[in-house]
Amino acid sequence: MARYPFLQEVKEWVKNEGVSVNEILHDEIYERARDIAIQRVNDAVKKAVVGERALLNETDCIMEIFSYPLARMIVSSIESDFLRRRYALAEAKKAYNSLKNEDNGFIRKFAQEFGIELVEKKIHFADYLKYAPTWHEKWKLVNRPLQKGMIDMSKIEMARLLQEAIRKKLEQELLVLYSPPEARKVFQGAILEIKNSLQKDEEKDVQTGNATILKFPPCMRQLVSAVQSGINVPHSGRFSLVTFLHSIGMDTDEILALFSQSPDFNEEKTRYQIEHITGKISSTEYIPPKCSSLQTWGLCPHEKDKLCEKVNHPLSYYRLKWRKKK
Amino acid sequence: MMFLRKKFLKYYAQPSIEFPNRFSKREYGFLFFNEQHMIRHVSFARREELLSFLRRNAPAHVYYSSAYYEKPDAPTMPEKKWLGADLIFDLDADHIPGTEKMGYEKMLEVVKNELKKLVSFLIDDFGFEENLSIFFSGGRGYHCHVNHPKILQLKSQERREIVDYITARGLNMSSILKERVVHRDGKNIETSLVMPSIDEPGWRGRMSREMFNFFEKIKKMKKEEAVNYLLSFEGIGEKTAEEAWIDLQDERRMERMKQGLVDLTTPIKKCALRVVEKCRVHGLGRPDEPVTGDIRRLIRLPGSLHGKTGFRVTRVKIDGIDEFDPLRDAIVFGDEAVKVKILKPYKVKMKGEFFSLKEGETEVPEYLAVFLIGMKIASV
Repeated sequence: MARYPFLQEVKEWVKNEGVSVNEILHDEIYERARDIAIQRVNDAVKKAVVGERALLNETDCIMEIFSYPLARMIVSSIESDFLRRRYALAEAKKAYNSLKNEDNGFIRKFAQEFGIELVEKKIHFADYLKYAPTWHEKWKLVNRPLQKGMIDMSKIEMARLLQEAIRKKLEQELLVLYSPPEARKVFQGAILEIKNSLQKDEEKDVQTGNATILKFPPCMRQLVSAVQSGINVPHSGRFSLVTFLHSIGMDTDEILALFSQSPDFNEEKTRYQIEHITGKISSTEYIPPKCSSLQTWGLCPHEKDKLCEKVNHPLSYYRLKWRKKK
Repeated sequence: MMFLRKKFLKYYAQPSIEFPNRFSKREYGFLFFNEQHMIRHVSFARREELLSFLRRNAPAHVYYSSAYYEKPDAPTMPEKKWLGADLIFDLDADHIPGTEKMGYEKMLEVVKNELKKLVSFLIDDFGFEENLSIFFSGGRGYHCHVNHPKILQLKSQERREIVDYITARGLNMSSILKERVVHRDGKNIETSLVMPSIDEPGWRGRMSREMFNFFEKIKKMKKEEAVNYLLSFEGIGEKTAEEAWIDLQDERRMERMKQGLVDLTTPIKKCALRVVEKCRVHGLGRPDEPVTGDIRRLIRLPGSLHGKTGFRVTRVKIDGIDEFDPLRDAIVFGDEAVKVKILKPYKVKMKGEFFSLKEGETEVPEYLAVFLIGMKIASV
C-alpha cells in the first residue's frame, strides 16, 4: 500500500488515522516523513524518477505514506507547470517499477481505480487508447492483437499503461491542489533550493530565435513546442527533432538547451544521445527522416500547410521557406 | 418551381427518416437548391419540428452532427460544449483511385467491396456488432455509424488510431512475417519467413489467412492469368509475377506454407507484402484528412435525400450487404414518365432495368429523371 500512496484506499487510511495537517507539518514524529517528501521532489527534479526506500516495518510504511501528501504540497507551492509534470511522471515511473512485479489479481484491482476493466489479461481497446503511448510503433493499435474489441496484454505492458494513467491523474490533481501557507513556511529551505535548480535549467533554455522556428515545418514546430512545454516525446520524435536541428546547423549545447524543458530531462543521457545521433561520438551522422516515415510514426500533424504538399522531406520545407523569404 | 425541389417536396411530405439517438442534442445543417451557403447550428427539441422543417423547405441535403452537445445551436464550438460523438466511417469513391473512370454502378460495387472489409474489421476486430449501423450515402459510397458506449468519449487522436488500424497505417510488417533460420551448413544460411497461424487475432491472423488464400488462388490460375493478376498490384513487375507463379507450383512449398513457413524466394516475398494492400480498407479519405478523427463533423441524415441523385440515405442490413442494390433499394420516386432532354449519352441500370440514353429529348421514369437531372446529365 505504501508503494502506491495515490490510491483511494491509502487516502481513506490517512483520513481514518485522524492526523491533522498541522501535526505532520510540525510534529517531531513526522520529521522523517518530511525529509522523505523533500527527497521525493528532489529525485523528480534530478533523476526524473522517485527512488525506492526499504519498507521493512510499519513505521517505514507510515512515513512513506505521509511523505506523499507533503511532497505534493511542496510541488504545489512552487507553482511551476514544468515541475508538476516532471513530478507526476517521476511518481508514475516509481509506481511502474513496483507494479511490474505484482500479481495479475492486484493489477486488475489497481486498474479498476483508473476506470479500466480488465477481463483476465485483456483490456478494451478504448481504455487502451486513452493511455497507450501510440507514438511508438510498437504501441500503435494496428500492431496489437485486437479481437472483438479486446487486446491481450503482458504484465509489463499493463504496468506501462498504468504508469501513463497514474501520470495523467497526478498531473490533473496537482493542477487544482491547494497548498496551505504553513507548508510554504515549513519547507521554505527546500522550496528555495528546488526553485534554484529549476531556474538553472531554464537559463539553459537559449532561444533558437523565433525567426528560424517560424521556418520550421509544422511537424518540427510541434515537436519543439512539445519538448519545450514538457510533454513527453517518444524516441522517434526526439530522434527526428535532433537530426533536423543538427542538419540546420545547431550545435549540441543549443539542442540540449531545447530539451532541458522535457519532464524526464537527464542532461548526461540526453547529451550522449544527441552526440550519438549527430555523429560526434559514433560513426554515423544520421539524417532527418522523410515525411512518409514521420507519417508512419504518427509525428506528422494533421494541420499541414500548402508548402507541405510540395515537399517530401522536412528539410526541403525549411530550405524552401528560406528561399521564399529572399 | 424547380423540378428537383418539387419532387423533394413530394418525398418530404411523407418521408421515412431514421432519427439519431440524443436527437435534441445534435446540430443539424442544410443545403438548399440554388443556394451556396449551408445553414448550420440548428437544433430541434422534438422530432416533429424537424419533420415540419423538411416538409416546408425540402432541402437538397440534410446533415446532422456526429457529436452531441450541451447547446447544439450555439454558433461556436466552445459555446456548444462537446459531450461526445459517435464514431463515423465515410467510405467514398472519391478516395479510391481508378473509380473516376468507372460507371456509377461499377464504382458503387468497388466501394461495396471496401465496405465488406471495413465491416469485418469493425465486427471481428473491434467487436462493434450491436452498435453498428450501415447506410448507403445516396451518393458515391457508404457510411458506418458506431455508437458503442465505450467510444463516445474518444478524442480525435484516439479515433485516428482506429482509422490507422483499418487502413494498416504504421503496420509493422517485420513483426508479422518473422525471418527464421531454417537450415545452416557451413557458410550457407537458409532463412524463411514464418507466417502467423491463421487463427491469431488482429492483423497477424488477417494477413496470414489472406496470404494463404492469395497464394492458393494464384497457384490454381493459368500462368498467363496469374501474371496479369499480379501485375495489377503496385510494385510487381512481369518477371516477379512469372517467377512467383512458378515457385508456387511446387507442392512441397505449399505444404510448408501450411505449416506456417513462407519460403523466402524474392518473388513470393514481394507478393506477400502486397497482400497488405488487399487487406486494408481504401476509400476512407487521405490519411492526413481527419474524417473519422473529426469529432464535430456533419453527416447525412438517414432517410433524407441526396440532392445530386435523389437517392435516399438507406440502411443496409449487416448480413444483407451482398443483396443490397443501391440502384434499386435507395429509390423513392415513382415510374410515371417524365420528359427530359439528355445532355450527353449515358448508360445505367436502375430498378433492374437497363437504360441506354442518347442525346436529345426522351421520356424516362420519374426516378431516373430525378437522378439524371441531379447529376446534370439531363435537363427538364
